[in-house]
Amino acid sequence: MSIEKVAVIGAGVMGAGIAAHVANAGIPVLLLDIVPEGATDRNAIAAGAVKKMLKTDPAPFMSKRAAKLVTPGNIEDHLADIADCDWIVEAVIERLDIKHDLYAKIQAVRKPGSIVTSNTSTLPLSKLVEGMDDAFARDFAITHFFNPPRYMRLLEIVAGAATREDAVADLTDFADRRLGKGVVLCNDTPGFIANRIGTFWIQCALVEAMDRKLPIEEVDAVMGRPMGIPKTGVFGLMDLVGIDLMPHVDKGLGDNLPASDAYQDLRRELPLIQKMIADGYTGRKGKGGFYRLNKEGGKRVKEAIDLTNGVYAPAKKASLSSVSASRKGGFKALMAHDDRGGAYAWAVMSKILAYAAALVPEIADDVPAVDRAMKLGYNWKFGPFELIDQLGAGDFAARLKEEGRAVPDLLEKAAAAGGFYRIEGGKLQFLDVTGTYADLVRPEGVLLLEDIKRAGEPVAKNGSASLWDIGDGVACLEFHTKLNTFDPDMLKMVGKAVALVPNKGFKALVIYNEASNFSAGANLGLALFAANTAMWPLVEEMVEQGQKAFLALKRAGFPVVSAPSGMALGGGCEVLLSSDAVQAHAESYIGLVEVGVGIVPGWGGCKEMLLRLSKDPKRPRGPMPPVSSSFETIGTAKVAKSAFEAKELGFLKASDGITFNRERLLADAKARALALVEDYAAPEAAELTLPGPSGAAALRLALKDLTARGLATPHDQVVAGGLVDVLTGGPGADITEPVSEEEVLKLERETFMKLIKTNGTLARMEHMIETGKPLRN
Amino acid sequence: MVTYAAPIDDIRFVMNELFDYQNSIPTLPGYEDATPDVVEAVLEEGAKFCVNELLPLNLPGDAEGCHYENGVIRTPKGFKEAYKAFREGGWTGLSCDPEYGGQGLPKTLQFIMSELIVSTNLSFGMYPGLSHGAYNALSVYGDDDQKQTFLPRLIDGTWSGTMCLTEPHCGTDLGLIRTKAEPDGKGAYKITGTKIFISAGEHDLTDNIVHLVLAKLPDAPPGSKGISLFIVPKFLVKDDGTPGMRNGVTCGSIEKKMGIKASSTCVMNFEEAEGYLVGEPHTGMASMFVMMNTARLDVGIQGLGLAETAYQTAAAYAKDRGQGRSLGGTKAPEKAADPIIVHPDVRKNLLTMRAYNESARALAIWIGMEVDISEKHPDPARRQEADDLVQLMTPIIKSFFTDYGFEATNLGVQIHGGHGYIHEYGMEQLVRDARIAQIYEGANGIQALDLVGRKLGQGMGRLLRRFFHPVAGFIEENQESAELMEFILPLAKAFGRLQQATGWIAQNGLRDPEEAGAASSDYLRLFALVSLAYIWTRTVKVSLEKMDERPEFYRAKIAVARFYVTRILPQSSSLFATIMAGKAPLMELEEGAF
Repeated sequence: MSIEKVAVIGAGVMGAGIAAHVANAGIPVLLLDIVPEGATDRNAIAAGAVKKMLKTDPAPFMSKRAAKLVTPGNIEDHLADIADCDWIVEAVIERLDIKHDLYAKIQAVRKPGSIVTSNTSTLPLSKLVEGMDDAFARDFAITHFFNPPRYMRLLEIVAGAATREDAVADLTDFADRRLGKGVVLCNDTPGFIANRIGTFWIQCALVEAMDRKLPIEEVDAVMGRPMGIPKTGVFGLMDLVGIDLMPHVDKGLGDNLPASDAYQDLRRELPLIQKMIADGYTGRKGKGGFYRLNKEGGKRVKEAIDLTNGVYAPAKKASLSSVSASRKGGFKALMAHDDRGGAYAWAVMSKILAYAAALVPEIADDVPAVDRAMKLGYNWKFGPFELIDQLGAGDFAARLKEEGRAVPDLLEKAAAAGGFYRIEGGKLQFLDVTGTYADLVRPEGVLLLEDIKRAGEPVAKNGSASLWDIGDGVACLEFHTKLNTFDPDMLKMVGKAVALVPNKGFKALVIYNEASNFSAGANLGLALFAANTAMWPLVEEMVEQGQKAFLALKRAGFPVVSAPSGMALGGGCEVLLSSDAVQAHAESYIGLVEVGVGIVPGWGGCKEMLLRLSKDPKRPRGPMPPVSSSFETIGTAKVAKSAFEAKELGFLKASDGITFNRERLLADAKARALALVEDYAAPEAAELTLPGPSGAAALRLALKDLTARGLATPHDQVVAGGLVDVLTGGPGADITEPVSEEEVLKLERETFMKLIKTNGTLARMEHMIETGKPLRN
Repeated sequence: MVTYAAPIDDIRFVMNELFDYQNSIPTLPGYEDATPDVVEAVLEEGAKFCVNELLPLNLPGDAEGCHYENGVIRTPKGFKEAYKAFREGGWTGLSCDPEYGGQGLPKTLQFIMSELIVSTNLSFGMYPGLSHGAYNALSVYGDDDQKQTFLPRLIDGTWSGTMCLTEPHCGTDLGLIRTKAEPDGKGAYKITGTKIFISAGEHDLTDNIVHLVLAKLPDAPPGSKGISLFIVPKFLVKDDGTPGMRNGVTCGSIEKKMGIKASSTCVMNFEEAEGYLVGEPHTGMASMFVMMNTARLDVGIQGLGLAETAYQTAAAYAKDRGQGRSLGGTKAPEKAADPIIVHPDVRKNLLTMRAYNESARALAIWIGMEVDISEKHPDPARRQEADDLVQLMTPIIKSFFTDYGFEATNLGVQIHGGHGYIHEYGMEQLVRDARIAQIYEGANGIQALDLVGRKLGQGMGRLLRRFFHPVAGFIEENQESAELMEFILPLAKAFGRLQQATGWIAQNGLRDPEEAGAASSDYLRLFALVSLAYIWTRTVKVSLEKMDERPEFYRAKIAVARFYVTRILPQSSSLFATIMAGKAPLMELEEGAF
């Protein structure tokens, strides 16, 4: 059965977020909550939740249109409306009696064969179905989303003994393809996978830090980057999720776990935490948490709490030689180091890793499920078993033994076999619970460059990019610089790919990579250094090299499909604009942000925006609308916060595809490329009708108005002035004489060169490189 | 005896014609009175003092040296009297803060005065020079009390200062120092340790000596992040501000050394000496850099000052000394021999000295003006720009000026033939005195590392912009000028090499710091040669414009410029080649094979 309509009951943070994300996938959702006492609007809670989400940042909705797919209601008047829903998600308060009561009502109205799930994080499935009739139990499962549901990729699904297999399959398929979630099937054990290990980790890190009287800045410096964990570490993470949640999570887990569980040893009264919660220090949503911003005296000073006495003092940058050592030697070097950072890391992580090893197969069928859950649910770069492999399973087990600690069975097996993972015949294998290696099988329709790279050699490669054969006559161009910024080598590889695709018998090219960001644009550092040393010909050559490479891409005699995920900014966006089609991950953040660093798009970005806006049949005709619209989008450095917004802004075409699941992006892009192969004809050289000085005058008037209203800084005016020149075709342009693509490129280049010679632009570039933020000069 | 007259005329040209001093420095708040007229009057007075008082003491001071006996040092005959006159003339407080009794004149003027002092008596100049370093550090990092106590005395010169950094086992790598500072429980510290190579550590010129000492507190983090700066006076200061009890700091011995013999170079022993923390604990390195940055520029000027005396003496000698006949036919038939200045190679040596001196002076004055702008300009952006340029050029001035200073003083000896090797002619002293400037205040190799390691990459080349953009702009503006063509073309070529080498180092040095290290000293020299070529080309432009006013002066400028771009600047080509050869030839030979 396919899921085409969904109901979410409970419009709290999680319920509302789930509803929003279902709507993001284009599915109508009914969002119900109780009727507040004495309310005039009986839907106030659900309606209020939707309204609030429209203002939340990061946004739960991918577009304003998605919000319209959510119908708010209340359970007194609208419960009957769930009758035509294929999936009903319960996300109400974690009280069994209330849930049971609700289930009975749901059961009365839902249609046969519809699926009911709970988003519980603390209650076992066995308890949830207790007393419910068989028909309910057969259609019931737990779907445990992570907060925020749009952005956290993990979805834990727990099936009960009675749950229909096809219901689980339908849910999994829907969550995977439509919602883009990484589904991990869990056993019905407390905390499931991610929170079982994650809570243990937080609790352990906290009490160890207290016992060792460590500054929290040091703890987070250790418990973060060196082990591939987000830099918020553990205290920063608690501030983010809310410190008041901690006692609940702790109780939920503690009450349900047996007394023999290692977690019970970590539990204790934490007066500091109790006091913080009582005083309103619940984290970022409260007055502050372990860290707070002290705004006294007009300055914003980041302060950190002293765990020994609860007193705040200005946060200090941790300086530990173990952390420095980890920069080269990674997690292993950190754990082996003998300073207090290394000792702490070992004390905490050895417990967590051993704990995880003892939990398979209790909580999950295999090791990859646990690793995946921690990576997708806690944003760890490596799962616990991957971390053990970094230490060496044998070495880790030996050190535990040396310290007289128990070595879990599975760890013994891994120590004997040589690790939890291995590569055999170019394939990734994992150690199963019997102690033998098995292939890691990807779901159907999942194609990963990671796997292709393990199995073979690239067709071509340099320091910045590689070309891979991804089968069926399709080549894949992968970027691999820091943030995938464009440097001369990367541009060279673009040019090389255009030549190699036909020469090596490929039919199509996909531009795709598996880094967090598709491409953050041109390497500003290189450009800035060249500009600072007045190497103008070199700067201009860099602009020209990019223009040539992207134009070659556009006019290549084969289809080019770009498949972005994460940031595609500046030059990264211009690649998309130069492709025949785009298959975008829904979480793509696309924009021409050049003005932020004081320049104009110089690799065809201005030209392509003008072209596509003028061709779009849904937009107003005439030479001026595309110009004004491009001016607004580029001039204010608008960034689309999703693939859907990118379509609205014109960075993506209406015909471009959107993939929700990151892991399915390459396969989708490849299919799209292959679909274009037949009858492919490269786009012909286009001509643009640009308004020239009269159009420029109009835009300058608008700019003047912005300036008068204090919305444009002095250097904004310089940069926007340059943009006006490019978009209107320069002083020589006239509506009666269309200009070629090359001419617009020349204008881009000239304006770029003019701007990069100004101090204002150089200051913007430097500021962006040093701080990551735009300078408003 | 050397021949020397202060090059006031050239200084005037640089300030007023080349760099538009009058519309720059006197527009800065606080320097309204430092007009060109005032500056000139001060300089003329200063020149008189240097020539009349300091120069006569230079050669005898070198012969006599300092006398050490039981921890007491006697400076050579006449130094005490000269110092008293120097102090009473207000020269110790020339550019110091009027709030504490200084004259409040621009740093530019201080730099120019430094050159004159060095030209006439470097050893003497060491004493007030060190005091000025101490003044700089305390005026930035000292607390009110410390400023009130020490600054007026350092400014009026009744007390002097030192910088106590080096220890027997460490100089460049100050993170290794062992001198300890223990809190004495009364807000002060007990300093214990040994410092060596302390210039002006002990002498008989002043009533008290204010030592600025680097030491480690008991809880200091390891390395250079654990260094603190302390004031340790030779005599503890009484409540009325006068020197009282002797502090636990003594001079153990003085060094017998190659040059600057009249400057005392001391081993200083600190035995639970009372000291006062300057600034925050563990921030001594930052304070040090305040002392060192201006000190480095001053040391650079030492190269220039000595080379100027060498040039003037050698030029006079070459015009006077008859020996042989000109290869192009007899020039002075009335005499038994032609003066040696007729010989091309002698001329080459003289021109080399002069071409460096005049452009180096101009560069120093330009950067001196930027120092003033970096401190006083009302616009923070302009201050930043100026500071960037000063930061960038400091290692170049320190290193290149002292390298060429040694080269030029050597040429001075050469022109004198055997007489150059004889003490009484004063030329060999200049060589020996010049030699130390390449070493102290950060050896020249360290300066080169500072340039490629710290200055090059800062702000992705922001510091470089302050030099590269004016040069690129100047070339672009003047590339059509037929008159300037013969200068602009070689400048543009050498500048292109500098740009390429800069890019090469940035790229390869990032990947492999040893590559940057291997290129560093050649790169610094290339940078310096291009800087001077820029100065010379600008000089020619001004000279062409003003030719009619003083044809002789400007024609000479153009001739020397022509010599520079044709006979010196081509070195940029070989330097470029050596840089591009990379580190491999330096690293190939195994350590054991050395």
